[in-house]
Amino acid sequence: MIKLHGVTKVYSRESVGIRDINLHIKAGEFVSIVGQSGTGKTTLVRLLIAEERPTKGQIFVGDWDITNITATDIPFLRRQIGVIFQDFKLLPQKTVHENVSFALEVAGETSERIRKVVPQVLDVVGLGDKWHRYPKQLSGGEQQRVAIARSLVHRPKIIIADEPTGNLDSLNTVEIIEILKKINEFGTTVLLATHNREIVNELRRRVITLRNGEIVSDEREGKYRL
Amino acid sequence: MTSFWRVLKFAFQDLGRNFGLSFMTVFILVLMLLSVNVLWSVDVVTKEAVSIVKDQINVSLYFKAETSDKEVGEVEKYLKQFPEITELSVTTREEVLKSFEDRHKLSAEVLSALQELGDNPFGPTVVIKTREPQDYKKIMSALDVPEYENMIEAKSFEGHEEGIEKIQNITNRIERLGFGLSILFALIAFMIIFNTVRVAIYTQRIEISIKRLVGASSWFIRGPYLIESFIFTILSVAVTAGLIYLALHWLDPYLSLVFPNGFTLTNYYNSHILSLFGLQALAVLLLTVISSLLAMRRQLKV
Repeated sequence: MIKLHGVTKVYSRESVGIRDINLHIKAGEFVSIVGQSGTGKTTLVRLLIAEERPTKGQIFVGDWDITNITATDIPFLRRQIGVIFQDFKLLPQKTVHENVSFALEVAGETSERIRKVVPQVLDVVGLGDKWHRYPKQLSGGEQQRVAIARSLVHRPKIIIADEPTGNLDSLNTVEIIEILKKINEFGTTVLLATHNREIVNELRRRVITLRNGEIVSDEREGKYRL
Repeated sequence: MTSFWRVLKFAFQDLGRNFGLSFMTVFILVLMLLSVNVLWSVDVVTKEAVSIVKDQINVSLYFKAETSDKEVGEVEKYLKQFPEITELSVTTREEVLKSFEDRHKLSAEVLSALQELGDNPFGPTVVIKTREPQDYKKIMSALDVPEYENMIEAKSFEGHEEGIEKIQNITNRIERLGFGLSILFALIAFMIIFNTVRVAIYTQRIEISIKRLVGASSWFIRGPYLIESFIFTILSVAVTAGLIYLALHWLDPYLSLVFPNGFTLTNYYNSHILSLFGLQALAVLLLTVISSLLAMRRQLKV
């Protein structure tokens, strides 16, 4: 599903994002990318959604070589990947329903389908009754659930979550991880970048550990080892 | 087509939900357009005033009494070759005499003195008007040739010369000042509009990057801003036109006191409404669209 061959990202002589990363994530896997702040987790996420271009190496998403993806193709790539961010990245001027439906509208889905699918997805994340609220009228956990609903709504094969629980309390953290696990059970590949030890240890799934931009361990049922 | 309606929907949603920002953008555009229109109106009024003064200037050539109609006809033919001359009228000796008699019909002394002279002492007169005051000098020097010099007794130009030069100087200064001010205003308008739109888009940079991250194409993001530019343009030009007509309603009675020819700015605006406001709308639209595209270029690089 995701392949990286010798990928390096250099920002400047003093700042290297990741170094010579070789990685293969299969369809349906739940992979945690762990490491302390500044070890390259976010760089990896940004490379996968083409927010950054690699300095060296090749990146494949499915059969698509996105190493040198054109600006015109980037929206098509992003419509196939659901991304969840630590700061939720919700549109403040749009309601919960509009935030979620926006992801379908940009992809050219019919209004009929949007009217049908969006309430279903909001029910999945438990926000069916808050569809008319604006992000600022929701708690952090609820905002992150909106972000998950938005990332799910176009049924992506991959969900990338970059520190999705970084701004949440422990109760909301558990809820968000449960939702991600449920998504993964339906066959979606989940890539979780985090430095939350408890989450990783509790998940007991594949763990890739990064240090100074390099992979230092890759365990099938790993634990947080930093 | 669905995308177009969605872009339209987002444009109106953004306008409504960012009402304060939309209002400020339209407000600044209206201020700029009002300044441009004030400058334009001052220019129109000045030009009209100068043209009235110019219109009152003419130069008369007084021929000697013995000059024949044929000789005057030759001078007339010669003068008509000059494209600068807009009007030329010839008054024969008899007409000049009649006009003199009419003017002095109440003054018996003048009429008896005229009778004592016996023959008609007046020569024919040629009155000319030129396009621009500075053209008179050229015409006068063209007549400074021996064959015509002997026929012409006097030219009224000598008396007018100073006045004509003054008007010419004033006209030139006003035109230069108007041109300079227009460029200055155009530059200020450009800077203000450009920065207003940039600020409006800068405040929405996070939204733009989020839209980009969830897979919106560049045109899907740009579209609402371009439609908003169009709406801002229509609104600002309409409000400006309304305010201008309101101001003219108050101003025109004063102008009609100054201009005896019935000139009013309302008439001017009415007869140029499409070109004036059409041009302003086009300029504002171009400015806002270009500013939007330039401002967004940076935000769309995500």
